[in-house]
Amino acid sequence: MGMIGAGSDVSPLIRIGGLQKIYAANTASPVHALSSIDLDIADGEFVAVVGPSGCGKSTLLRILAGLDDHDAGDLTLAGKSVSGPSTDVGFVFQAANLLPWLTVRDNVRLPLRVGRAAMAVGSDIDALLDMTGLADFGDRYPYELSGGMQQRAGICRALARNPKILLMDEPFGALDALTRERMNLELQRIWQTSGKTIVLITHSISEAVFLGDRVVVMSARPGRVVADITIPIPRPRSLDGIIGHPEYQRITREIRHLLNAQGEVD
Amino acid sequence: MDAAVPAAASKPTAAALRRRRAPRSLALVPFVGLVVLGALWYGAVQFLKVPTYILPAPDAVARALWSGIAISPASPLGYYLPLWGTLKNAALGFALGSCLGVLFGSLMAEFRFFEKLTMPYAFALQSLPKVAIAPLIVIWFGFGDGSKIAISALLAFFPMMINSFTGLRSVEPEKIDLMRSLSASRFETYRIVKLPHAAPYIFAGLDMAVVYAFLGTIVAEFLGAQQGMGVVITQAQAVTDVAGVFAALVILGAVGIALHAVVRRLEHRVVHWAHRTR
Repeated sequence: MGMIGAGSDVSPLIRIGGLQKIYAANTASPVHALSSIDLDIADGEFVAVVGPSGCGKSTLLRILAGLDDHDAGDLTLAGKSVSGPSTDVGFVFQAANLLPWLTVRDNVRLPLRVGRAAMAVGSDIDALLDMTGLADFGDRYPYELSGGMQQRAGICRALARNPKILLMDEPFGALDALTRERMNLELQRIWQTSGKTIVLITHSISEAVFLGDRVVVMSARPGRVVADITIPIPRPRSLDGIIGHPEYQRITREIRHLLNAQGEVD
Repeated sequence: MDAAVPAAASKPTAAALRRRRAPRSLALVPFVGLVVLGALWYGAVQFLKVPTYILPAPDAVARALWSGIAISPASPLGYYLPLWGTLKNAALGFALGSCLGVLFGSLMAEFRFFEKLTMPYAFALQSLPKVAIAPLIVIWFGFGDGSKIAISALLAFFPMMINSFTGLRSVEPEKIDLMRSLSASRFETYRIVKLPHAAPYIFAGLDMAVVYAFLGTIVAEFLGAQQGMGVVITQAQAVTDVAGVFAALVILGAVGIALHAVVRRLEHRVVHWAHRTR
């Protein structure tokens, strides 16, 4: 659980080599969304990805999830080449993306009801709800929950198949600042107790530095990795503790400089 | 109508109570309108000397209405047997047309080939006044129940097809992505995401279809039938019993409102989430 840093000698859980994505590749003016991304992510690592808007960070995540395909390069998850959605991956969407006609429990249970995983034994749904403080809300409908609680349910759903990897696409972007900070703490705790490998896309530098073992900084289109910064701040991190930490201040400043050189941050 | 539904059903504040009580006192307002209308009607007939074969007095209509209601349900002179016949055929046509409408709407939404195959004709038929086909359907199905059910089904079919197609196609792409990320089958995505998402659209279609089906049966009865509310109207018309025609129209109006209310009640129960989500 929680191997800190990239320099481990076991083969990485996620290996991205020379990954490219071109939109409308067969037209006169193809758009290079991603140009040659190289990234290795170790088992149990928490990697946050920041970048200016339109840098293709969401595209990268969708390719990892098997929702989009790539045009060149290699992509392996747990040694297997990615050719579509995998049960090893749980996806957390921007804004919880719950189904409003299902109760919270049925939403979280959805991954166990559909697809080839329908028979497989997944996580204990009640234990998941318990872990995220939703134990009393299993029979409620999403419209009865606050935004933060909805996204907790979204995270529970992504964990239902007990995947090795959690991919999160700006999951807290729609929340207010206070709820967002609380969710950051919560996510750190979930990551530490579950031992998942997490890739988090965010447009918040402080969120990235608070949560990440590493922060990957991407450039504006065509998306490239311009920096891969290890965050040497010990865990568990606290919101108050990290603000005063000298490394935190140095790293956030460095990332801000990198992003400003790239254009505006979204 | 959403204001009448308490949002959380937990702690009703004073303001919430006031808001909830307001519609109840306002519920009487339409009846005030009815009384005013009745008075004007009565006055017009009395003082402007409108002939009774143009506009009968409200009390004549009330008497005709009463004679049809205060009678043994088994009597052919009452409203019960004709109304039962009309409702039975309308219900069968409604059920048939609605099911086929959702089936065709689903096939069109799910399969591009089917959409391309049927869409131009579906819209051409949609813009055709379908009541105009009624005489043709009577030729095909005869003067019995078959033609009534067929016309009702035809009228119910189109709003159901168009609405279910529109609803199924309006699912947010993120919800489809969710199902794709779970490797859900096409049918699972249809059953778990698309169909529930389309339910509010389908209910809006049902609301139209139920009234159209009722209308369809009555139009078919005008063209020839043994019994039914359409027959009650044409028979009253044949003897210039205008009060009788008005009384039958009152019955039809009441039944139309009741059908509409049933669909609305059902909708609130089934798609309760849709009224609160946004």
